Amino acid sequence: MYRSRNRPKRGGENEVKGPNSALTQFLREEGISAENIKQKWYQRQSKKQEDATDEKKGKAEDDSFTAEISRVVEDEEIDEIGTGSGTETERAQVSYDARMKLVPADSDEEEYETSHISDTPVSLSSANDRESLTKKRQNTAKIIQNRRRKRKRAADLLDRRVNKVSSLQSLCITKISENISKWQKEADESSKLVFNKLRDVLGGVSTANLNNLAKALSKNRALNDHTLQLFLKTDLKRLTFSDCSKISFDGYKTLAIFSPHLTELSLQMCGQLNHESLLYIAEKLPNLKSLNLDGPFLINEDTWEKFFVIMKGRLEEFHISNTHRFTDKSLSNLLINCGSTLVSLGLSRLDSISNYALLPQYLVNDEFHSLCIEYPFNEEDVNDEIIINLLGQIGRTLRKLVLNGCIDLTDSMIINGLTAFIPEKCPLEVLSLEESDQITTDSLSYFFSKVELNNLIECSFRRCLQLGDMAIIELLLNGARDSLRSLNLNSLKELTKEAFVALACPNLTYLDLGFVRCVDDSVIQMLGEQNPNLTVIDVFGDNLVTEKATMRPGLTLIGRQSDSI
Amino acid sequence: MSQDFVTLVSKDDKEYEISRSAAMISPTLKAMIEGPFRERKGRIELKQFDSHILEKAVEYLNYNLKYSGVSEDDDEIPEFEIPTEMSLELLLAADYLSI
Repeated sequence: MYRSRNRPKRGGENEVKGPNSALTQFLREEGISAENIKQKWYQRQSKKQEDATDEKKGKAEDDSFTAEISRVVEDEEIDEIGTGSGTETERAQVSYDARMKLVPADSDEEEYETSHISDTPVSLSSANDRESLTKKRQNTAKIIQNRRRKRKRAADLLDRRVNKVSSLQSLCITKISENISKWQKEADESSKLVFNKLRDVLGGVSTANLNNLAKALSKNRALNDHTLQLFLKTDLKRLTFSDCSKISFDGYKTLAIFSPHLTELSLQMCGQLNHESLLYIAEKLPNLKSLNLDGPFLINEDTWEKFFVIMKGRLEEFHISNTHRFTDKSLSNLLINCGSTLVSLGLSRLDSISNYALLPQYLVNDEFHSLCIEYPFNEEDVNDEIIINLLGQIGRTLRKLVLNGCIDLTDSMIINGLTAFIPEKCPLEVLSLEESDQITTDSLSYFFSKVELNNLIECSFRRCLQLGDMAIIELLLNGARDSLRSLNLNSLKELTKEAFVALACPNLTYLDLGFVRCVDDSVIQMLGEQNPNLTVIDVFGDNLVTEKATMRPGLTLIGRQSDSI
Repeated sequence: MSQDFVTLVSKDDKEYEISRSAAMISPTLKAMIEGPFRERKGRIELKQFDSHILEKAVEYLNYNLKYSGVSEDDDEIPEFEIPTEMSLELLLAADYLSI
């Protein structure tokens, strides 16, 4: 036992040397010590014992001493509280004991017991009470039901099921998926034949409709390894999956094995596509010549190299976006192996590519028709010089030019590239120069006055912030006026009402005028009258367009402030 | 033809009559009825769909009309039965009608 030798023996009150706490000082002054408390407790215990022996003489003695004590305490408590007798100190003692005893009474068990006791007499008392009880029960049942409904509604909301009656499309898709998984379970051994039976069971769909089915499945985010089986073993030549996020690498492999006739394949959001499945696609689809991949971020440089070697001589169209593993080396592999056959190339949001200068050197096919370079990681990587060189090479035959987000491009590209190399009778169908904020009205006016764009269908100058009225008026004076179907003028803040007087296109169906602040009700009315086929105008952020705007029937305004508030 | 009913015509020239309000559930049919087309007269030809598919689609439109207005407190809505063998074609029809 620890005890300091130097510690003075107990005796005098002030023998302890050194500083004391305020509490120690207080206890000492009041004469409270551990020994005192202990003595008091002993006294209390012995007193109780005496009382107990007096009161319970006739009764049998309890076995355990402690149990007896506790019961005694109880009795005593009731007595004393009930009569209110006893001195002040006694009462304090009792309340102390009661407090000590109350601690276990706080438990749930106790509560349950008391409530049970109070319940029983009610049920036995009278018919009236019984009625109220049944009523009570009904109420609780109702409450429980309400709670359940509430919970279900909350779950539905989380699942974005706002309508209670689900749509026929989702019902059909659930049915299809259900059946596919059921069939798979049943036919585990002969799993290779599942898809054959599948279409027998579900009812056939014509090959032409399969792409519609793919669209419907993608739209409902229901395309997975199970539903994928619907597309196997067909004569399908073109297939587009708009949302492959749930297709595993095995799914791609089966697709490659069982749909050998595919020539064009587009896989969007194909995050699970890995090395093995990409090489499978290259090897097992001998006719594949067009591949469009979005988000194949699992595939690295080595695999790309192998893939392009396999595809050498037959890859004609290649579009890739959203992967950081497609590097300069992969690009040069693509161009070295397939550059001469490529007629369509798309590079979008590829953060590891900087050497776009390689392109003019390799894109030499005489029939090259589509070029999409979008959102390069460094804006300086796609500059005027590169695009001018490219256009010098392929501008003659170009049908689609998309240079969205290449914000380093300037007027020089328009004048020395587009105007110089695109022939006067231009085959261009799609022109998109979104976010090129260095391009001015002058250069585009010049381009539109020099080149006949008789085939232009889709045109976008979204966020080309410097463009003014003259550029648009020149475009509409051009042959493009008769062919245009979609025009995007979003955020062209310099435009005035003048520009829209000339906007009269017989085939225009879609027009985006978002954040073109000058657009008001009168402009909307005029556009509706001048463009007989126009069905949708986007007017987000156009605060002058009000609910009073008069519209030709069949024309829809989207994003009007008065519609949402 | 009464203004309150719309007739849908299938591939094999079978006609299905549904109430205007049921047809309005489908945005596609709604556009046809409200647009400046001859369909507004109340006869819509849906020649790309077989009669049994169209019949089921009509059944769904009525089902939807009946139960989508039901208040929250009411009991469970009965399930809409789809025969397995027509689920694919019905999906295409549903996609077309946007229902």
